[in-house]
Amino acid sequence: MATRIKKFLGSGTLFVWFCGTAVAASVLLVSGVLLLIMINGLGFFWPHALVELTLTDGTRVLGELKGEEVIPHSETTAFPEGKTRVKLKIGNRDLYGLDFRWVDTERVVSADTPTDVIAVERREWGNFYGRIREVRRGGEHVASGNEDGWTALVPLIDHANALHDDVAHLQRDVIGDVNYDIERIRLKLRALALQGQDDPVRIAVLEASLQALERRYQEHVDVLRTLSDRLNEYSVVLIETNGRELSLPVGHIVNALRPNAMGLFEKIGTYFINFWSVLSQEPREANTEGGIFPAIFGTVMMVLIMSVAVVPFGVLAAFYLREYARQGLIVRVIRVAVNNLAGVPSIVFGVFGLGFFVYAVGGTLDTLFYPEALPTPTFGTGGILWASLTLALLTVPVVIVATEEGLSAVPREYREGSLALGATKIESMIRVILPCALPGILTGLILAVARATGEVAPLMLTGVVKLAPALPLDHHFPFIHFERKFMHLGFHIFDVGFQSPNVEAAKPMVYVTTLILVMVVILLNLSAVAIRNHMRKKFRSAAV
Amino acid sequence: MVGRPLFVGRALDRAGGFFRGRALCLGLVLFVGMGSGPLSWAASDSMVDPEWKAYSRVSGVSGNLNSIGSDTLNNLMTLWAEGFRKEYPNVKIQIEGKGSSTAPPALIEGTAQLGPMSRHMKAKEMDKFEAKFGYKATTVPVAVDALAVYVNKDNPVACLSMEEVDAAFSKTRRRGHSVNLGTWGKAGLDGVWQNARVSLYGRNSASGTYGFFKKTVLKKGDYKDEVKEQPGSASVVQGVTEDRGGIGYSGIGYRTSGVRVIPLSATKGETCYDPTFGNASAGTYPLARFLYLYVNKAPGKPLPPLVREFLTYVYSRQGQHIVIKDGYFPLPQRLIQQQLAEM
Repeated sequence: MATRIKKFLGSGTLFVWFCGTAVAASVLLVSGVLLLIMINGLGFFWPHALVELTLTDGTRVLGELKGEEVIPHSETTAFPEGKTRVKLKIGNRDLYGLDFRWVDTERVVSADTPTDVIAVERREWGNFYGRIREVRRGGEHVASGNEDGWTALVPLIDHANALHDDVAHLQRDVIGDVNYDIERIRLKLRALALQGQDDPVRIAVLEASLQALERRYQEHVDVLRTLSDRLNEYSVVLIETNGRELSLPVGHIVNALRPNAMGLFEKIGTYFINFWSVLSQEPREANTEGGIFPAIFGTVMMVLIMSVAVVPFGVLAAFYLREYARQGLIVRVIRVAVNNLAGVPSIVFGVFGLGFFVYAVGGTLDTLFYPEALPTPTFGTGGILWASLTLALLTVPVVIVATEEGLSAVPREYREGSLALGATKIESMIRVILPCALPGILTGLILAVARATGEVAPLMLTGVVKLAPALPLDHHFPFIHFERKFMHLGFHIFDVGFQSPNVEAAKPMVYVTTLILVMVVILLNLSAVAIRNHMRKKFRSAAV
Repeated sequence: MVGRPLFVGRALDRAGGFFRGRALCLGLVLFVGMGSGPLSWAASDSMVDPEWKAYSRVSGVSGNLNSIGSDTLNNLMTLWAEGFRKEYPNVKIQIEGKGSSTAPPALIEGTAQLGPMSRHMKAKEMDKFEAKFGYKATTVPVAVDALAVYVNKDNPVACLSMEEVDAAFSKTRRRGHSVNLGTWGKAGLDGVWQNARVSLYGRNSASGTYGFFKKTVLKKGDYKDEVKEQPGSASVVQGVTEDRGGIGYSGIGYRTSGVRVIPLSATKGETCYDPTFGNASAGTYPLARFLYLYVNKAPGKPLPPLVREFLTYVYSRQGQHIVIKDGYFPLPQRLIQQQLAEM
């Protein structure tokens, strides 16, 4: 017996089992987390059925069923398992004060899923659930009753949404451009005053163009006002399930559905429309509703800027350490230091970024190049450049280590062959060794991207904001605005999850944002992996 | 009265299947008090003052507005900024909310024109401001917040006095309650609650709410070590939702269906009051506070037009509606008029 155990241990089968278990546990954990996020996040887009409950006191409750639980300590002889209660999303926040409500099932007399109820997604106050009483145009009556009202309302909402797009375009692009020019001229004027130049012709020219721009602005604003008035032209009188009325301008409606009357395919269609609108729209209501496009954009752009900064820096450092430096005590100490740097908490990097980049470098840049904008800081406050550079510092050890590994895997014969053929050291390095080490470098980049995308703490100190007024990339020269603050998916999760007042209603948004963050990481990694595989194919002979 | 369980079960099965099986054993229909809050609170209409003036645009307002300060006011500032930008599409507003203590340095350095704070400026901060400019920063109250004490939705406790809240949260018990409120039995509950432990949730020490609660309820006493300090107001509410014995404090705007708000009385034996708009403005609810914006205004000089218009917007009908939407209480009209006159 003992010999058999000895033989078993000696064969190494046990070890294989250990390894297998470790892998299985990792896969299980990762897929478990992903599954949790997906279950909670993906359901958000589905048009849920609306249930109308009639209670024993005659009142009614209309909403989406969100959960059920056993009331603790409610077991009686009649209910050996305990009584239950259900949680409904009742919406109508402006009428009820809360979006959710618990109802004891024993108080429910009847429950129904009427096909005529509508779910309205509003630009303010969250969803409305109820029925239509009347559609009006100003004081005029257009349609009354739930059925006629619905028929009249649907095209009006499409029309209002088209108008909204026009308003957004006018506000963001047209007026945005005028404002941008006005701001630049104003800064030029201030700069002239600061420099003590009082060339009257130049000032007069600038002021004339400023006035022309302001006139143009005024014209655009007038158009904007007429558009906005047209948005509020039609209104709809809604009634909630107990008969309380609410008048709502059609311009405040994002969309309206009759979820109980929808077929499966219609629901699937709505699902993808909802998903796309979250991906593509701007946030509303202090980020708790609407889309997360600026956050996705900010995250990706920050990671890209970081990659551009971290790769040359890390690769050069690794080349020096591996190819040029004399291997000895100092290099060993530096290697240990680099490895330790990877273990420094990210908030420490954040504090460093704030102190060094934002205050020292940014503050100096401001006094040297942007004195006309002071005291409002340009670079002397957090921005996408400083955040990206801070993250580049945070991830540079990963790139150095991976590049060194890649370099050490380049066969010695390659170097010697190259040198023997008459190439100088730098030539053989650029033409022979670098291409062979590229897959290793890209592995480093993949790890760096994965780490950087998930970091939030250093960003909070160096440039992430809850709501950024403009994207850091637009059509104004120099196109990439390094000084602008930006939004980030990780911070969005923190903000919506911990700071939003209506945490119950915002919870799905947290999961959706998490899901999209994970998807962004996967996409960024996949593209880096694709590039690496392409490289590998190209330099197959390299033993990397 | 015997219910009609089968019908309920069937309809709900169609709706989502949550009731499946359970609804079939629905028997007696009883009237039992439910955890949902009184609907009357919601009625935003009751807070709306017909005397609020609608905001009217003025010409010549443009530029950048920076706001740095409180995280409690972060949402409110964002909502105000969204609304203000509808009136003036040429105004750019940047909002940073990392805590009340970040507001004074930003105002002193001039990096922000608005400094939202959930507490008063401390004397030290005010002195620094005065040393730089020669006058004090101007305090502008913008909304009323009632700090609510939350318990789990199943907790039947009817009312707590300030002494009892102090005895639950504090180890020093400066308000003089005789016993430590360690179990819910000490607060007068019986049955399964008799020996249920009181589990405490609070904010982290960087928060203005932490300081306000410590000053007002604990009379500057010390928190118990077992208070679970949370990174945000919403997480206090989440904690109490999940923990049946939980009790925590947070702004009234953070109320959800998973928690109950306890009425409070100023001293033991007195009437308890809910943190409603009426009770907060009448002063009967003991934990009401103002939320402020600090601005830099030289005496005798008008405010910069952009700042002035932003404050006017905050005091307008639109601005105060946003306060209600974010879950806080609007200012009394008298105060608004007084403030507008001073501006």
